[in-house]
Amino acid sequence: MHEMGLMEDALQMVSKDAAGHGMKSVEKVSLIVGDLSNVLPDALRFAFDAFRKTGEIPGIGGQARLEIIREPGKARCAVCGKEYEPNEYLALCPDCGMPFGVVISGETFRIESYEGS
Amino acid sequence: MKVTLEKDVMENNDRAAEFNRKLFQKTGTLVINIMSSPGAGKTTILEKTVRALSGQYRISVIEGDIATERDADRIRSAGTRAVQIATEGECHLDPRMIAKVLPEIDLDETDILFIENVGNLVCPSEFDLGQTHKVVVLSTPEGNDKIPKYPLMFHVTELALINKTDLIPYVPFDLDQARKDLQAINPESRLMPVSARSGQGFDDWLNWIKEARQACLKP
Ligand SMILES: Nc1nc2c(ncn2[C@@H]2O[C@H](COP(=O)(O)OP(=O)(O)O)[C@@H](O)[C@H]2O)c(=O)[nH]1
Ligand SMILES: [Mg+2]
Ligand SMILES: [Zn+2]
Repeated sequence: MHEMGLMEDALQMVSKDAAGHGMKSVEKVSLIVGDLSNVLPDALRFAFDAFRKTGEIPGIGGQARLEIIREPGKARCAVCGKEYEPNEYLALCPDCGMPFGVVISGETFRIESYEGS
Repeated sequence: MKVTLEKDVMENNDRAAEFNRKLFQKTGTLVINIMSSPGAGKTTILEKTVRALSGQYRISVIEGDIATERDADRIRSAGTRAVQIATEGECHLDPRMIAKVLPEIDLDETDILFIENVGNLVCPSEFDLGQTHKVVVLSTPEGNDKIPKYPLMFHVTELALINKTDLIPYVPFDLDQARKDLQAINPESRLMPVSARSGQGFDDWLNWIKEARQACLKP
């Protein structure tokens, strides 16, 4: 469960940035989470809830909501150029069977935006 | 008010890893991050390695565990300096935990630093500590199917030590299949059978370290 530590990092970044904008209360945090980013959305939600309830991160209070925007995993075959959804890091091409497809999407784990007042 | 931030959450970790890496390069220290599931034999391998190499090299060890100072004590008994990190629940070491304890280690006086990660085949594979090399240990009783089951770990490491080869007569472990699976996941990785108990294959491991150390010294 490394999502706890990562969520703390994310919320600290939001908290600091929000304070810089003179925002007192953050109502919504939007994250982009790639299917190949090795973080689990459910564990992130659990962690978010914990921080929201304790209120230990300034500006992230009981009413804050979390939005998770999924980024699908995509790889491109190095031989035939086919784009496909890789199954983990093997990235085996479904057409020609070539492994080591180049991952072109799905590794993102980013704070996209936040809203508050 | 809506603020578009577009900030990578791993940014702080990436920065800390880069900080560590620069420091290691500056002092010319070879840093090996050793990962495995609990009980594969990381500490036993390190005890034996320290005993074999501490006449030639100045060695330090960072021990990562969820709790206790036990593994660091084992390494100290084997004759070298060890710092214990107790992660208190975290399933991996992250680069900031390493950066925090580096002041306790005299890197200028350290040729080789081994980092024993928390026992876990998943989470540690996702964190760059700034190390020179990542090594995974898989022990024969765990079964060769752990390679395709935990592909990320075998994808990010450069060497897979297959430990406890002394048990191969008693447990089903298919070395040829392990080689094939590793080749499919990571053609650059090398598979090396060893036994920390009998010492079988251990010279290959020691030579691998010596070569890595040599490569560290080149400008
Ligand atoms: N038979 C056998 N047992 C080993 C070998 N290496 C380690 N062990 C045993 O495996 C257990 C776990 O080892 P340890 O080094 O603590 O594993 P760690 O959790 O990865 O640090 C101990 O009882 C060791 O004595 C080996 O090569 N052969
Ligand atoms: Mg250990
Ligand atoms: Zn193809």
